[in-house]
Amino acid sequence: MSSASSATALSDATLRAGIDRSLRHPVMFFLTSGAAWLAVSILLAIIASIKVHCPQFMDDCEYASYGRVFPAHINTLIYGWGFQAGFGVLIWLMARMSHQECRAAGTILTAGHVWNLVVLLGTIGILDGRGTGMPWMEFPAFVWPGLLLCYCAIVVWSFIQFRVRDGERSYVAQWYLLGAMIWFPWVFITANGLLFCASTHPLMAAAINAWFKSTLMFLFFIPIAIGTAYYLAPKLTGRPIPSTSLAKLGFWSLAVVAPWAGMQKLAGVPLTGVFLPYLGAAATVLLAVPLAIAVANILRTIYSSEEKLPKSPALHFTLAGLMGLLLLAVAAIALNLPGSSLKLTQFSISGYGFEILALYGCFSFMMFGAVYFIVPRITCREWVSSRLINMHFFFSAYGIVAIAFGALFGGFIQGSAQEAWLQPWETVTDVVRPYAAVSTFAWCVILFSNVFFFLHLAMMWLGRGRPCGAPTLLDSAAEHAAPASH
Amino acid sequence: MSLRPFILGLAASFGLAWLLVVIVPFIMMRNLEPITLTKETDGAAGIFYPKRSGRIINGAKVYAENGCYLCHTQVARPTYAGNDMYRADLAGLAKDPERGDTRRETNAYDFEGETFAQIGLTRMGPDLANVARRFEAAVAAKGGGGDPAAMFYAHLYDPRRNPETRKSTCPSYRFLFTRREIKGQPSNEALPFGGDATTELLPSPDAKALVSYLLAMKKDQPVPAALNFAPPEPKAAAR
Repeated sequence: MSSASSATALSDATLRAGIDRSLRHPVMFFLTSGAAWLAVSILLAIIASIKVHCPQFMDDCEYASYGRVFPAHINTLIYGWGFQAGFGVLIWLMARMSHQECRAAGTILTAGHVWNLVVLLGTIGILDGRGTGMPWMEFPAFVWPGLLLCYCAIVVWSFIQFRVRDGERSYVAQWYLLGAMIWFPWVFITANGLLFCASTHPLMAAAINAWFKSTLMFLFFIPIAIGTAYYLAPKLTGRPIPSTSLAKLGFWSLAVVAPWAGMQKLAGVPLTGVFLPYLGAAATVLLAVPLAIAVANILRTIYSSEEKLPKSPALHFTLAGLMGLLLLAVAAIALNLPGSSLKLTQFSISGYGFEILALYGCFSFMMFGAVYFIVPRITCREWVSSRLINMHFFFSAYGIVAIAFGALFGGFIQGSAQEAWLQPWETVTDVVRPYAAVSTFAWCVILFSNVFFFLHLAMMWLGRGRPCGAPTLLDSAAEHAAPASH
Repeated sequence: MSLRPFILGLAASFGLAWLLVVIVPFIMMRNLEPITLTKETDGAAGIFYPKRSGRIINGAKVYAENGCYLCHTQVARPTYAGNDMYRADLAGLAKDPERGDTRRETNAYDFEGETFAQIGLTRMGPDLANVARRFEAAVAAKGGGGDPAAMFYAHLYDPRRNPETRKSTCPSYRFLFTRREIKGQPSNEALPFGGDATTELLPSPDAKALVSYLLAMKKDQPVPAALNFAPPEPKAAAR
C-alpha cells in the first residue's frame, strides 16, 4: 500500500513538473515584461505626481505634459503590468488546478509578444497626443481589438484545460479565475464596442466608461487577486479552506453585486435615469460584503491552527494583499455614501486613491505573492536573496499605505474645500498640494522597491537563481548566505 | 461544480445588470426626444433647439488628447448632489447685468455636438461648464477692453502669468503655439506678449480649435420650462 501511495505521489510530482515545464516560457515572459511595465508606469506616476505640486517641472516638454503622462501611467499600470501579471498567474494556476499540461505555449508566447507591442504602441499614442480622452480607455482606437484578440489567444487554453479536467471537482480559486476569464471579454467588448463603434448620447458614453472602470476593477483584477489568495493560502499553510459555503456566498454575491457598480461617478449628471449613479453607489457600498467574506475566509485558513506560520515571502505578500482588500472594502463604503461622502469624493483625488489601492495595494500584492511562489517552481531555482525580497515587501507596503491614506484622506479634505462655496477656489488647489507631495515621495519608494523586484526576477529568468533545494524564507537569511554564494 | 450551470449563473447575474444599467439606458438615450415649447410657459411655440457655436468636435478632440478632463469637470450638479449652484459663477452668473440670475444645472442638451461628455475625473482646477461666461464677465468688468479668447490663449500659454492665478497648478500648453519670424505686418492673431522685434507667437490650429471650444463653454441660453428647475422668483424681488 505504501508503495502504491508513493507511486501516486511520484506520478503527481511528475505531472506537476510537466505542467511547470510546459508553461515555463510564457509565464516567465508575462511576469518579467509585466514587471518592466510596472517600473515604466511608476516612473510615469512620479512625473505626473511631481507636476501636481510643482507644475514647472519639465514644463517645456510636450510629451511629459501632465494630461498625457497621467493617462499613460494608469494605462501602462493596467494593460502593461496588471493584465500581464494576471495572465502569468492565471494560466499557471488553471493548469495546475486542472492537472493539465499546456499544449499551446508557443501560441501564448506569440500572443504575449503581440500584447506587449500593442500596449507599447498605445502608450506612445497617448504620449504623442492621440489619446481618446476616456479614462482607462485612452489608448488610440486601433488598440482594443488587438488586445482582445491577444487576450483570447492567451486565455482560451485555460478554459479548455478546465473543460477537459478529470472529474467534476473544482476549487474555489478556479471559480474566481473562471469568472474573471468570462467577465472580462463581456465587459471589454461592451464598453469598447459601444464607445468606439456605436453612437449614443455623450452623457451615456461617459456613464458606460465609468461602469467599465468599475467592472474591470471588480470583475477582473479583484477576482484574480481573490482567486490567487484562495489558492496560495491553503497551499502554503497546508490547511483546507474552512467553509466552502461561505466561499460560495462570497463568490456569488460578488457576481451579483459588482455589475451594478460604477456609475456613481456621474451623480447629479442629467442622465435619463438619474437614479443610475445612486444605484452604482449603493452597489459599490454593498461590494464590501463579498470582499470582507473573502478576506475572512482566507484569513481563517491561514490562522486556523496555532502552529507557527512559515515565513514564506508568498504568504507575506498574500497577507498584505488581504489587508489591502479589507481596506478596499472599508473605502468602498466610506467613499460612496450618497447622503454624505459621495458629493465630497466624486471629483476629488479619493477616486485615484481607491483605484491604486485596488490595483496595487490588493491586486499587485497578491500577484507578487504568486510570483514568489511560482517562479522557483518553473525555473527549478530558488530566489537569490531574502534581503531583496524583504526590501521589495517593506518599501512597497510603506509606499502603498502612504499613497492610499494620502489620496483617500486628502480627497475628503479636497472635497470639503470644494463644497465650502463661500471660500475662494484657490483654497481647493492649496489643500491638495501636500497630499500630492506625499504621493510623489511614496511613488519614489515604490519605484525603488520594484527595481529590486525586476532585477531579482530577471536574474531568475536568466537562470541565475540559487540551485539549492531549500526555499528562500524571510527569517533565515544567514542560513542561506553560504549556498547563495555558489 | 460543472461548467454549464456556472456559466449560466454568471450570464444571469451579470446579464441582468448589463441589460438594465448599460444596454437599456444606452438605447433610451440614443435619441433624446425634442422638447416642445408651449405658449403659456415658454412664451413661444415649437421645438427647443439647444444652441452651441464654435468648433466643438475639433476642440473636444484637443481637450481629450491633452487630458484636460483629468483636472476639470464640465457639470453643474443639482443641489442634492453638491454645492455647485452656490459656488460663485460656476453654474452661470448670479448677477448677469442683463438677465439677472442665470445660474442653472447642466442638462442633457448642453453636450450637443460632442461624442463623449467630459464630465471629468477631479476638480483640481475649476469647473469649466461656464468658464467662457466668467471670462466674458471679467472682460466686461474691466471696461470691455479685452477679449475672452486672448485670456484663454494667455492661460494656455502660461497659466501662472496672470498674477491672479499665479498659484495655478495647470500645465502650460506652450507646444500649442509656434514662434514665427515677422515678415511685413505682424499677424493679427499673434499673442500680445511673448514676441519681440523680429518674432511673434502664434496659436497653432489645435490651440485655435481648443479655444473655440472653450469659448462655447457657457450655458446662457434660456431653457424651456420643462428643463428649468429654478425656484419661482418671489414677487417682492421682481425687477
